[in-house]
Amino acid sequence: MEKASSRVIEVTVISGEDLRVNRRNPVKKNAFVIVRTDPLNERSTGMNTENGCNPTWNQKLVLDLPMHATFITVEVHSGNKIIGISRIPLSDFTGGYLPANYLSFLSYRLRDAKGEKNGILNLSVKVNGPTNMSYAASGSMPWFGGPVTNKFSNGTVTGIPVYYRV
Amino acid sequence: MGNCFSDLEGGKQAVGGGSHQRPQNVRSDAGHNDAVDHFFRTKGLHALFTKMELSLSASKLRDLDVLSKSDPMVVSYQKKRDGSLEELGRTEVIMNNLDPVWIQKINVTYQFEIVQPLIFRIYDVDTKYHNLPLKMLKLNDQEFLGEASCYLSEIVTRQNQSLTLNLHHRDGRSSKNLGTLTVHAEETVASRDAVEMTFRCSHLENKDLFSKSDPFLRISRTVESGGSIPICKTEVVNNNLSPVWKPVCLTMQQYGSKENPLVIECFDFNSDGNHVFIGKLHKSVAELITLHQNKTGANFISPPSGFRRHEKLLKGQLFVDGLIEKQLYSFLDYISSGFELNFMVAVDFTASNGNPRSPDSLHYINPSGQLNAYQQAIMEVGEVIQFYDSDKRFPAWGFGGRSYEGSVSHCFNLNGSPIGFEVEGVEGIMSAYASALQNVTLAGPTLFGQVINKAADIAGHSISDSHAKYYVLLIITDGVLTDLQETIDSLVRASDLPLSILIVGVGGADFTQMEILDADTGRRLESSTGRIATRDIVQFVPMREVHGGQISVVQALLEELPGQFLTYVRSRDIVPLNVGQSHSEAHTQQRV
Repeated sequence: MEKASSRVIEVTVISGEDLRVNRRNPVKKNAFVIVRTDPLNERSTGMNTENGCNPTWNQKLVLDLPMHATFITVEVHSGNKIIGISRIPLSDFTGGYLPANYLSFLSYRLRDAKGEKNGILNLSVKVNGPTNMSYAASGSMPWFGGPVTNKFSNGTVTGIPVYYRV
Repeated sequence: MGNCFSDLEGGKQAVGGGSHQRPQNVRSDAGHNDAVDHFFRTKGLHALFTKMELSLSASKLRDLDVLSKSDPMVVSYQKKRDGSLEELGRTEVIMNNLDPVWIQKINVTYQFEIVQPLIFRIYDVDTKYHNLPLKMLKLNDQEFLGEASCYLSEIVTRQNQSLTLNLHHRDGRSSKNLGTLTVHAEETVASRDAVEMTFRCSHLENKDLFSKSDPFLRISRTVESGGSIPICKTEVVNNNLSPVWKPVCLTMQQYGSKENPLVIECFDFNSDGNHVFIGKLHKSVAELITLHQNKTGANFISPPSGFRRHEKLLKGQLFVDGLIEKQLYSFLDYISSGFELNFMVAVDFTASNGNPRSPDSLHYINPSGQLNAYQQAIMEVGEVIQFYDSDKRFPAWGFGGRSYEGSVSHCFNLNGSPIGFEVEGVEGIMSAYASALQNVTLAGPTLFGQVINKAADIAGHSISDSHAKYYVLLIITDGVLTDLQETIDSLVRASDLPLSILIVGVGGADFTQMEILDADTGRRLESSTGRIATRDIVQFVPMREVHGGQISVVQALLEELPGQFLTYVRSRDIVPLNVGQSHSEAHTQQRV
């Protein structure tokens, strides 16, 4: 097992869609996004002043990705309110069959503090740096000798609270 | 597929300025008419073909004239679905030449979704006919020099878009050296230049009574006769006197030239259709570039009206916040540079199809040779895509069947082999399918998840090797999905990959559930983990018997493929392989 040094991820926060305050009023302005890889590593975008509830930032944030991290968190704020957050498992953009340094374009559902749906966040992610051996992104077939269920399992389970309504 | 703009939301959509526009639509008979073209597109009729020019040359033709050499001329035909030949055009007659290079081009329209067989016949034109117009020449009176045939997609998938064919007799009689014919195909696209602009306005006038204006822009091109033709409009921004619109992408086809004056009008949207005019201005693309560079605004003008004889300068200003000049490569640009479409097939082996031995079954193999629904779908899609796949080895799977070992598999190799899932050619798929019907018991339930995951695996792995492969998975099913959410999860995971999924529904089941997967209503698919599909990669169509008609329902599915492929490569700034590397790097810069 190689000695893992920290990796770096580049998150480009592209845009948000249909952001609302209190589930009713569209966000007027000054929405910004905080990206967090662990409680100590976070970066935030600037505020978007123009597009209201469909803001575009197109801003690239570079963060350290500690080896123990299994997901990153994105939070959309407006003023001092949290509009919605989403947790993105690492397996969505690294590992499995995706090659190293692949630029993934992803979109996530944001949920507010009560667990209600509140908009969508579009972003792109790229991991720079050595990939962990357990994320078999090299040429060998990951499904030989892998876990029995042979899908993208790398040990992370994404739990969904029962009260999240689909 | 097509959009019908009769509802309010549809009326507010942007039109004509998308950067992910469909491949150039040009009706072959009329000239390039944006309004008519758009009219057809909004009704869902896609005049989706590309104009191409064929250049012909030949070598080592037979010498049929006694005192001089042959005077050859080529007549080209396209074979239609019913077998009849439609003449495409004739070249000129070249005198006394056994290695002619003809100047006259043959125009043909390339359509991705159908197989286009072409036939070329070379004649030696007798001297006494040399002064007659070409069209009047009776071919039966001329001497026949040779014939060659090929498919249009064979030509376009070549590296240099040229194909050399051996000439042979009609009726395939023995042909000793009749010579060769070389066909070269080229898209008649004037230019690939395009400009993507982000417009913003400030201080627009308020035209609504109880709220603010809902402005949108309409951009028109001025024509020689003095009028203007609209080329695009932005979406409507509600309730905003300082709106920022989404980027608008105009191709050189649309704006003519950078110096051509454009009219940009701003209207306040009203749901009753009476949009209130706010202001307009005249700027060419070159002037808009200057506006962007200087970061200045241009004031709107109100034309003379009422008692006012002169134009009034308004307070409202137009800014060009973002401007990027780029090259919009066409589908054929990518294909001819080496991009491939890899075809994969998955066949439903669930019990709802009916016992294959019974003639009512959807899997019944008719000894008379008539194809069942599954075979038809495989043939129609396969025979088009096979030209775009260089090694013609296609992964083929079945799902919902029980092999002799006893366990039901939701992704088993159709060829019966435990490790290799590929078959050779469309005939290989057909024979693997027929033999699988002998060896596999129909079971169930109907689940796509594993097959989609497998296809996504393959597509994902190919990215590390090269960006030049795009995968197309054809799923043929007779029934309704048992686990919709699992399928949606697999689709969302695959939505960022170079993969398109075509689903054909056979039989009479109610396929409303499948339409959810097709996401044409605009609702993006959401997985159970909260991830949302990056793009819409699914197209679904129920197969019905179509007797007659130009294009079958299944081939209507294929029409969407070039568009989906272009959306993928353009969003990642992937350029055709023969375009310089530095060019693509310039476009991956941040656009703020």
